[in-house]
Amino acid sequence: MIGSALLLSFQVTVTATVAIVIVGLLIGLFLARARFFGKTALEALITLPLVLPPTVVGYYLLLFLGSGGPLKEWLGIDVVFTWPAAVFASFVVGLPFMVHSSKASIADVEPALENAARTLGSSELGVFFRVTLPLARRGVIAGAVLGGARALGEFGATLMVAGSIPGRTQTMPLLIYDAVQRRDYGTANLLVLVMTGIAFLSLWAVRRIGST
Amino acid sequence: MHRLLVDIEKAYDGFELRMKLEVGDEIMVLFGPSGAGKTTALESVAGLVSPDAGEITFDDQVFFRRHRPGERMNLPARKRGVGYVFQEYALFPHLTALDNVAFSLRGDKDRGRLKAAELLESMRIQHLADRLPREMSGGQQQRVALARALAARPGILLLDEPFAAVDRPMRDRLQRDLRRLQKELRLVVLCVTHDLEDAFAVGHRLAVVQDGSVRQVGRVEDVLRRPRDPHVAEMAGVRNVFHATVLEAGADGVLLDWDGLVVEAAAQHAVVGELVPVYIRPEDVKVMYSDRSVGEALRANRFDAVVMDLHVTGDSTLLRADLADGHEIEVRFPGYTYASIPLETGRPISLCLRRDALVLLPSRNPV
Repeated sequence: MIGSALLLSFQVTVTATVAIVIVGLLIGLFLARARFFGKTALEALITLPLVLPPTVVGYYLLLFLGSGGPLKEWLGIDVVFTWPAAVFASFVVGLPFMVHSSKASIADVEPALENAARTLGSSELGVFFRVTLPLARRGVIAGAVLGGARALGEFGATLMVAGSIPGRTQTMPLLIYDAVQRRDYGTANLLVLVMTGIAFLSLWAVRRIGST
Repeated sequence: MHRLLVDIEKAYDGFELRMKLEVGDEIMVLFGPSGAGKTTALESVAGLVSPDAGEITFDDQVFFRRHRPGERMNLPARKRGVGYVFQEYALFPHLTALDNVAFSLRGDKDRGRLKAAELLESMRIQHLADRLPREMSGGQQQRVALARALAARPGILLLDEPFAAVDRPMRDRLQRDLRRLQKELRLVVLCVTHDLEDAFAVGHRLAVVQDGSVRQVGRVEDVLRRPRDPHVAEMAGVRNVFHATVLEAGADGVLLDWDGLVVEAAAQHAVVGELVPVYIRPEDVKVMYSDRSVGEALRANRFDAVVMDLHVTGDSTLLRADLADGHEIEVRFPGYTYASIPLETGRPISLCLRRDALVLLPSRNPV
């Protein structure tokens, strides 16, 4: 049971983190460079999952993913109570870290450097990958690590949209809850240690990236 | 012979730029106070900002064209082949000098780096190849930035205040380099500066820019000797503009009445009785030694004055003096001269306004 929870957590976290990095980077770049009406509102909207109760986030996700939601009605995809639903939950709560961190570090990149690259023959894609991203890498990596760590620890919203089905949707945080309810303190202790270790390592890594 | 034609309009931040300029194989200095639109003009040529209307062409290549709303031809910056040395250089901080220079050399990476290394060598900075920008001095960064801008063999080179962050000896060397490179590579060079000495040192021609438009274009010496109007004169570092009435004008010279002081100028166009702006460069006002005989040029226009204040900037000194009754004049001289004259605020001194350096300006636009 511990093995399958570990594996599932890994699967969900990696998938969610990849999505967080790609989407978060795009939104971060957009927010750092574009000026438009409603920018603050968009930022607040993306940050909401950080402050809302997990049940509220989970409820919104159910509206989006479940019966009557756009994913099911328009695309015919039903992910509720499967592991991809857990990915959605992890993605939504991890995304704000990536967006804020990458936005801040991209905004710090001198526009003159990007202009220099343009006069030296770079396309916009080249400018991003050869200048902007390398210079913003610290914030981008920090955002990915924090977002990933948050995705790994996601519990409340996951429980609402994916349930806690052993072997299918029961990730580590859910298994801990389950174990404590069953008074299986051995499992709980082990997983709590694992989770704490990973979280600590993530924070340590972010501090290291920030200071070098 | 290359030809860069700029004829553009752009409005931004309550400011209107209307720039018309024709540049050949030469170093054209855009000279003027900050905020005059010089950098925007460079950025328009490079394709980093879009003018509202007008045209920019280089030889038979159209960079930008828009005369009617809807019509629009705007070549992206990356396709213009314009080398740009940015203010503060904008070297990529995460890349070594070599990789900065090799940035524009596409295709095979090793060949690009080889070419970049050759370029560094030709500019005698190969020893900097592996250094990051933060490990280089201002002058070194400047040379790397120049090498980077030239790496892709552009036809046009733009420089934005290239000498602002380097010390004097380095500046002289860079200025010589720039003149040599311009000649060797037959480049069209546009160089923005607000420093008159830099303009003098590198420029073949000077375009005086103020409030978004070109006030005067011409050979550097000509613009300084014959500013078209008092605005240009004043901007060209000439604060010594005063108004005087023409008393006499003839082949021997012009006699002027500057509110009670009689001043003599060399022969030039003047109408007797007219009130005209007159100017003299601060360099052409001389402090006189009381115990030495002087040459013909300094016989006329000798006045007693009192030192008002002194400004030492770099290796030159700017002195403000009061001639009499609020006649104020500025004197600039190299710091090492006049060592034996006690120049302190309140001290009496003797000044000479060089007769042949006094210029009468057209009076239609008084300051």
